[in-house]
Amino acid sequence: MDFSTTITFNGLIQQFIVGLSRTTILFIVSSGLSLVLGVLRIPNVAHGSLYMLGAFLCYSVATLFGNSPIGFWFAILLAPIGVAIISLATERGLFCHLYDREHLMLLLFTFALMLIFHDAVKLIWGSEYRSLTPPVIFQGSLPILGMPFPKYNLFLLSIGPIVAVGLWFLTQRTKIGKIARAAAVDRDMVGAVGINVSWVFASVFVIGCFLAGLGGALVAPTQNITQGMDHTIIMEAFLIVIIGGLGNVWGALLGALIFGLTDSMGIMILPQFSIVFPYAAVVIVLIFRPKGLLRATW
Amino acid sequence: MRRIVSYMMFVCLLASMIGSSTLTFAASDIKVGIIDTYSGPPSSYGLDVLDGFKLALNKINANGGVLGKKITFVTRDDKFKVDLGLTEAKELIMRENVNLLLGTINSAVSLAVSDLAKKEKIPFIVTYGKSSNITGSKGHKFVFSMNENTEMIGKAAAIGLAKRPFVKYWIAGDDYEYGHAIADAVWNHLKKIKPDVKLVGQSWWKVGEPDFTPYITSILSAKPDAVIVATGGAGCIPFLKAAKNTGFNRKVAIYMHTATELSTLRPLGLDAPQGVIGTANYYFYYPETPENKVFVEEFKKAYSRYPSFGSLIGWYTANFIAKAYEKAGKVDPEKFADALSGMTIDSPIGKLTVRQFDNQLMLPMFMGVTKKVPGYDFLIATDIVTIPAEEIMPSIEDIKKARSQD
Repeated sequence: MDFSTTITFNGLIQQFIVGLSRTTILFIVSSGLSLVLGVLRIPNVAHGSLYMLGAFLCYSVATLFGNSPIGFWFAILLAPIGVAIISLATERGLFCHLYDREHLMLLLFTFALMLIFHDAVKLIWGSEYRSLTPPVIFQGSLPILGMPFPKYNLFLLSIGPIVAVGLWFLTQRTKIGKIARAAAVDRDMVGAVGINVSWVFASVFVIGCFLAGLGGALVAPTQNITQGMDHTIIMEAFLIVIIGGLGNVWGALLGALIFGLTDSMGIMILPQFSIVFPYAAVVIVLIFRPKGLLRATW
Repeated sequence: MRRIVSYMMFVCLLASMIGSSTLTFAASDIKVGIIDTYSGPPSSYGLDVLDGFKLALNKINANGGVLGKKITFVTRDDKFKVDLGLTEAKELIMRENVNLLLGTINSAVSLAVSDLAKKEKIPFIVTYGKSSNITGSKGHKFVFSMNENTEMIGKAAAIGLAKRPFVKYWIAGDDYEYGHAIADAVWNHLKKIKPDVKLVGQSWWKVGEPDFTPYITSILSAKPDAVIVATGGAGCIPFLKAAKNTGFNRKVAIYMHTATELSTLRPLGLDAPQGVIGTANYYFYYPETPENKVFVEEFKKAYSRYPSFGSLIGWYTANFIAKAYEKAGKVDPEKFADALSGMTIDSPIGKLTVRQFDNQLMLPMFMGVTKKVPGYDFLIATDIVTIPAEEIMPSIEDIKKARSQD
């Protein structure tokens, strides 16, 4: 088989753009994970479950509105808010009592949350496959460089920068962001100057979970909404966070770019063995930068 | 003291949990142990099989059961895991004293349980596992397959595809046993029937791949005539979705084994691409026989949804079991296995026979093309061509050869 003839310049560009749209989802989800990891120092294993929950909520809200375009926008908006409310209740009701415990306990707790969310999804939505139709304007494809490009992926591409700028604004320009960054460095000191650290943690946790829900809601129209979508994403998100630098949101962006782009370019260059590419990239990064590309907050 | 009390309560709780999952049965019942995947993405298939099985069983028991006994069943969730499925099979045999085993959608679990069934001399009926090794190289007296297998799919697809004008093919699929087995079977048979076909490339993705857009765009730039998509279960839906969104189905012909099945097309609604070629063993709207209409009516009445192929498997498996015990005359594993081997029953898709040589059910295959049809809120298969079971069954010589090599 001769593959070299099949790779064209236009093809590569196209593949690059497709990879970017995939990066968007990876970035949104892993930045939330990284935020929680950086400030709360907790690897939230249930992050993927909240992503799954976001997708299912998006499906339910959209179906409630009879799959109308307005329903879709409501769903994209309400699903992450729903996830945020659930995570706020979990944090205030259960999680905040555990902050003094050792790390392993916290990890076990998020693991338990993952199992609970998994079964809750099974109980509420059942095991049938579900699929969501995007509104008419996002259906079909547009020709880019002579190749069809799905319109919905273009929409995803535009969301990525908005989330990135939003996160930058939140962490650099708002009071809560500044306090959160300070708490990430030295939480005792933040408490000593009279700031209620517990609520800072709660807000950061909720924002992180909101991002997981947003990722799930955005991805819902492109794939099969089913149990098990949590497992795939949580693994990828952790890898991205690790190569980016634990707790560093910009590291998550960089990690997502590396992961998403090596994945889609690998599919173009060596489709038979494409699975290896993103993981090989992770290994290479870790060999040269064992602590991740950007400074870890840990 | 408090500690002891809490321990006691814990033990009681555990005991009650075990107790509740073990329903009590009259000693004279025929007991079927079902192992299948009831959680995670494959569970919708397992539940379809179970519902079809229950539907037929209720009727059999209402008519007085078999040999004066009722047929009852217990279920276990293997969570798509081999070790768990095997443990559960042992537990069902030893603790639940089941008379026969049924399951599972996972080929690896099916093969592991089949091995156990051979040692324990207990009949095991595979419902949804599609590995051709089950009744092929690893076949034995006590294992039966009620489903089509990858060899049969490959032959059927090759017969159907050879009639179409495609020459340049691309193969894409799930990078695990089922994906590779399907792809190899289709390609080897196609190459035999139509030697001038060319393979221009392959893509393999991990099971559970969420987004197929990058794969599709890369295949498009190679411009093949047709793509053989070897993905199963949950992967079919996002693939077809991505195919529609990229206009893939309008540029390249797509063949995917389960593309036209209800389990794939119903969740997609009108979001599925048209013109995708698929093979299936059953459509609730085809064949349009009175038997099929009755089955669809009964199933819809009981579960308020259309029956899928899984539901049909469950239904005829129950009927095969009842008839085999009747023929055997008593509840005996050897006699049951002898009776079921070579047995024929009537079904919504015509007469079905378990081939005597390898205990493989002879299933016809239907090749159709997806299309929007008024009256349905999802796509259905049209231009359906029936490929008779005789043409797609693996040859006995091939099985003999495979078994002697093992």
